[in-house]
Amino acid sequence: MSLLVVAEIQQGAIREASYELLAFAARIGGEVSSLVIGDAALASEFAKRGGGSTWSASDAALANYNVDGYAAAILAAVEASGADTVLISNTPVGWDVAPRVAAALDAGFVSDAFDVQDGRYRRRVFNGKLDAWVRSSAAKTVVSVQPGALPAIDNQNEGGGEVKELALELPKLRARFLETRESDAGGVDLSQADVIVSGGRGVGDPEKFPEVIQPLAEALGGAMGASRPVVDAGWLPHEYQVGSSGQVVTPKLYIAIGISGAIQHLVGMKGSNYIIAINKDPDAPIFEVAQLGVVGDLFEIVPALTSAVTAARG
Amino acid sequence: MKILVCLKQVPHQDARLDVNGDGTWIREEGIKFEINSYDTFALEEALRVKDAGEAEVVVASIGPERVSQALRTALGMGADRAVHLKDDALAGSDALGIAQALAAIAREEQPDLVFTGLMSDDGNASSVPPMLAHLLDMPHATAVVKTEHKDAGLRIERELEGGALELVEIDLPCLIAVQSGINQVRYASLKGIMAAKKKPIAAKTAADLGVAELVGAAAAKVAIEKIEPPPKGDRAEILEGTTDEIVAGLLGKIKELGLL
Repeated sequence: MSLLVVAEIQQGAIREASYELLAFAARIGGEVSSLVIGDAALASEFAKRGGGSTWSASDAALANYNVDGYAAAILAAVEASGADTVLISNTPVGWDVAPRVAAALDAGFVSDAFDVQDGRYRRRVFNGKLDAWVRSSAAKTVVSVQPGALPAIDNQNEGGGEVKELALELPKLRARFLETRESDAGGVDLSQADVIVSGGRGVGDPEKFPEVIQPLAEALGGAMGASRPVVDAGWLPHEYQVGSSGQVVTPKLYIAIGISGAIQHLVGMKGSNYIIAINKDPDAPIFEVAQLGVVGDLFEIVPALTSAVTAARG
Repeated sequence: MKILVCLKQVPHQDARLDVNGDGTWIREEGIKFEINSYDTFALEEALRVKDAGEAEVVVASIGPERVSQALRTALGMGADRAVHLKDDALAGSDALGIAQALAAIAREEQPDLVFTGLMSDDGNASSVPPMLAHLLDMPHATAVVKTEHKDAGLRIERELEGGALELVEIDLPCLIAVQSGINQVRYASLKGIMAAKKKPIAAKTAADLGVAELVGAAAAKVAIEKIEPPPKGDRAEILEGTTDEIVAGLLGKIKELGLL
């Protein structure tokens, strides 16, 4: 097995997820080489910290992500290294470029894997409700790996691998990076709240947020949050969203109401000190991260809890 | 301008998910299906281009007879025509097989713009759109939360982590895989549903499209060997009893945490 790890630069440094790819590569087993796109100095750093023989694609046109340039660089590195397995993190860069590279290589593509055993990759399907074990039978395989799936490896003491500049003729760039804009939280800062009460699709109706969810949040002196489907449906503005594309929160208490627990939501709240989940579906993935759960009708339980909290406060 | 929207019909988000007999997918008998949620946003984005000027919107989907319901819904929302690739030979296709089939449809249609959803609610793989773009030799962008027509291309915003955005300028023709929430999806009006009955759905087979060798289980490079429930973590302690008893249990825990 010959593996190519595609490292990723974010805000001037190699991402933690890239070191996690080295752990994933070690679990697969085989000879590891790496590719660092956009910065020769960081290519040297990655080579020193476990990346092995490392290709650097440092053309100025690759300083920011663009699909044509990155796909060309990865394909050139696959060719140069002779790798049969390509590992890339399932980040906004990885999910954009990896399937395209797989198609260009006529390779098997495994998306968002978080485990590998005996050549079978494990990934979540049905928004976290089931797992699939998949196997590639192709000569080449491209795997995008879920960030956080395995602890990072940082082999600082192993001595450096060789760094080589990748010979690369860039194609016409038909998608061009203009700029990055940071998120605007819009005044709702959930990071300071001790208690967050969040509602999901199970709340069913935009009017129920001020009627059912907000009163419990207020009774507990906390803040209201929401899952992505609520924001997508326009029931609440984006700034209420907890999750990988919204706010990442770590309150003392997180109450998830009518939230099934898709991965993108769990990423945003699983670091909470204590999690209570209320959901009608006993199989909802949220119960796997919560410490305390109620399987039942939120419209019965939540108002009763709000009254009890208010009464207890006197 | 011609716009192709690729739709997938998936099990309803509230459908009961039982593993099938050979353990490789879910049991599809007796459950409800719906248009993949991400794809409804893709269709809406296309219909907005049509509303703003001259565009023909063609929807394409792959799957058994039930998929015609999804296509009718899309026509009812305002799409002009539909292509339904309905062929048992497609069973067992991997993402690249599906992308090959969609690419064959796109080559017949020659769209200026292809809209898809970012991912499907069943496979969650986000694989097909970039593969399709590669096969069509088009640039693409995924997780798109805003599109704006500018000169000979589009100016788009991609969603990054933590709500950050990336602004990208992309040439036409191109493929845009939209993130959910990019717009507010319309409902099919009664008038739209009536009009949809007269709109054409062209049925195609893999042979019609010349992709018989590229699709199905035999051509698939990746296969699911097993589907199973995720490993159980330290599952939550579940409070049971009357509403009063449950509320007392929750209140006790909130007090124990020192939050009351």
